[in-house]
Amino acid sequence: MGLRLTPLADPLLANIRTCIQNQLPDASIEVDGGGGHYTIAVTSATFVDKTTLERQRLVYSAIAPLMKGDNAPLHAVDRLMTNVP
Amino acid sequence: MALNSSVHEQITDLLQSHRVVLFMKGNRMFPQCGFSATVVKILNEFTPTYQTVNVLTEPALRNGIKEYSNWPTIPQLYIDGEFLGGCDIIQEMYANGELATKLGTAGSSLPVASPTVTITERAALALQAACTSEHDVVRLEISPAFEYDLTIGTHQPGDVRVTSQGMALYFDPDSAKRAQATTIDFVEGNEGGFKITNPQEPPRVRQLSAQDLNTMLQGPAAPLLFDVRTEKERATAKINAARPFDSDAQALIDGLPKDTALVFHCHHGSRSQAAAERYAAQGFMNVYNVQGGIDAWSLTVDPSVSRY
Repeated sequence: MGLRLTPLADPLLANIRTCIQNQLPDASIEVDGGGGHYTIAVTSATFVDKTTLERQRLVYSAIAPLMKGDNAPLHAVDRLMTNVP
Repeated sequence: MALNSSVHEQITDLLQSHRVVLFMKGNRMFPQCGFSATVVKILNEFTPTYQTVNVLTEPALRNGIKEYSNWPTIPQLYIDGEFLGGCDIIQEMYANGELATKLGTAGSSLPVASPTVTITERAALALQAACTSEHDVVRLEISPAFEYDLTIGTHQPGDVRVTSQGMALYFDPDSAKRAQATTIDFVEGNEGGFKITNPQEPPRVRQLSAQDLNTMLQGPAAPLLFDVRTEKERATAKINAARPFDSDAQALIDGLPKDTALVFHCHHGSRSQAAAERYAAQGFMNVYNVQGGIDAWSLTVDPSVSRY
């Protein structure tokens, strides 16, 4: 995992990353943004042979806990890119 | 969060009644978020008729569709009952041709290349009167938002030519797609001019100021005015000409011809907007929402009506 030396701009970014990493351990993940606007890029071998919809569903189900309920920290993802290695 | 069965029914009903359904923020005339606007823009290029659901005016549907689709965001596009995805998936499908294929199987919603258009006798006379020896080509442009531009000039390469009343009418290919069964009429008088009726137009609720409503109510063709507020609110303050929007009113409306003018009001204008949109979606063509509601009526028409 490595040692993070600089603080993340938005704690939600770390949460998003952790959620996705837990579901897709082999994935390399880039999360960017803040203040309600986020872009996520996930590269994983589990995406091979899956449609974009299926890939996005995998990611959304991973971050579902962050999007649930009225006080959910994450409301929308501006861009979700899913790639195969 | 369990999905309420009546919301579930509402959703399955929508998906079974329309081939293309877009759950979005706002409506196709006025999208209220960038992602919804992007999908609308894409769909407008393919089909003049598709159903949209404004989740901002239907909070139960907003949560309901997220549960139903198991998808956390809006917009959401369904074609032939199949969930396709949100904005970026639709953009991808548009770019790689998949969307065109999906819509292609949606048969009857495909646009016609050469529309059947009717020009009434009066309109033909008015158009001929406007033509000169140099400019004798009548063209009608219909924007994706169904704004009309009737001009007399020269035709452009690629124009589709259509005839009616012995007159030729030209459309650019995109406008031709939106023109099927359009009628062009001409009416004399103050409010006169060319009147274009187009069944391809998506349902539209027009906003009416309280003052304009007052004028309409006093005129010869006073519309039916419905108050969608609660009994309690009506007891506090009401507009005399307004009927309560109860089950009798709803039964009445259901039996009316679709060109009947219907006006809805509430306290500030948002509940009534929702009611108006529902009827517009059922095919009523002259549906109005009173902007600002009874509050605006109090302020600008009749101060004796209490504000609350």
